[in-house]
Amino acid sequence: MIVSLSSLAVGLIVGYLGQRSRMCTVGGLRDFVLVRDTALLKGVGALLVTAWIAFGAVRLVAETDAGNGLIAAGTTPTGLRVVAAVVVGGLVLGFVATVSGACPLRQHVLAGQGRVGAWAFLAGFYLAAVVYTSWIAPHIGWWAV
Amino acid sequence: MTAGTATRHRDGVDTNLRARISRLPRSAVFYGIVAALVAVVAGQWLRVSPPSAYGLCSACHGRDLANWVLNGTQDAGLFVTAAGASWPLLTVVGLVVGSSFAARRNGEFGSIDIGGNARQFLFGAVVMCAALFVGGCPTRIILRTGYGDLTALLALGGVAAGVVLATLSLRWAASR
Repeated sequence: MIVSLSSLAVGLIVGYLGQRSRMCTVGGLRDFVLVRDTALLKGVGALLVTAWIAFGAVRLVAETDAGNGLIAAGTTPTGLRVVAAVVVGGLVLGFVATVSGACPLRQHVLAGQGRVGAWAFLAGFYLAAVVYTSWIAPHIGWWAV
Repeated sequence: MTAGTATRHRDGVDTNLRARISRLPRSAVFYGIVAALVAVVAGQWLRVSPPSAYGLCSACHGRDLANWVLNGTQDAGLFVTAAGASWPLLTVVGLVVGSSFAARRNGEFGSIDIGGNARQFLFGAVVMCAALFVGGCPTRIILRTGYGDLTALLALGGVAAGVVLATLSLRWAASR
């Protein structure tokens, strides 16, 4: 019950601000490479820095599963195969998201403001979620959750 | 005379401040700070965990919601994280509704069809598979990097390289 309400509230806040600021995580780097515009890149930096500080502060005041060090326990990739797979996965994610015009979160925001292409994107998105969990994940397992 | 000037001056500061606050949602930096704080608080104290650093993600929360619906209606037995197993995660619904509310409130709501919808459908499918493989949409990859996740740092490097590669090839294709 609480998890539904809190996640809905998170979505509403981020969706509202995302629509107003036109924020997009792949858009930051894209705009910088294309026209040297740093407005969105600053947003990405603020997201990263705030998350780093906030998770550090949480470690000081509350019990978390992160451990005490700077690197969270159990997140170090095991072996070169995992490193290569994750980097290539990220590469595909970044490439296709940029070609499609926006990161997945921004596509939700665009869908909310009435972009038809974003609804087509989301249709493929959720269909692929079910396909991935039904047929792909059983063969290759969950590499990172 | 003096009082009049003083009052007008204070008036000016007040309206200036109000204008600056009303412009704040337009700032990407403000978005970044608020989104990260909200995600950390939701993940730590409002039950959106485990897994860790799970407060905000469009791909994983969407997968959890889609699989939760299928598990409930078809008894499909698909994978759902512990956070979204008993009650659904409604982040993606909130995103669409929140953005729709913001767009309507500011007169930016309207159906726009720029074509290429079949292509967008395919892109969406590939993006979801890649995102589930590396453990989250770009936003959650950044959150996990802030959390201290080395795997997420690698994925973030991959995403950055992919974005640069795609931008350069788009520019090359456009200027050819």
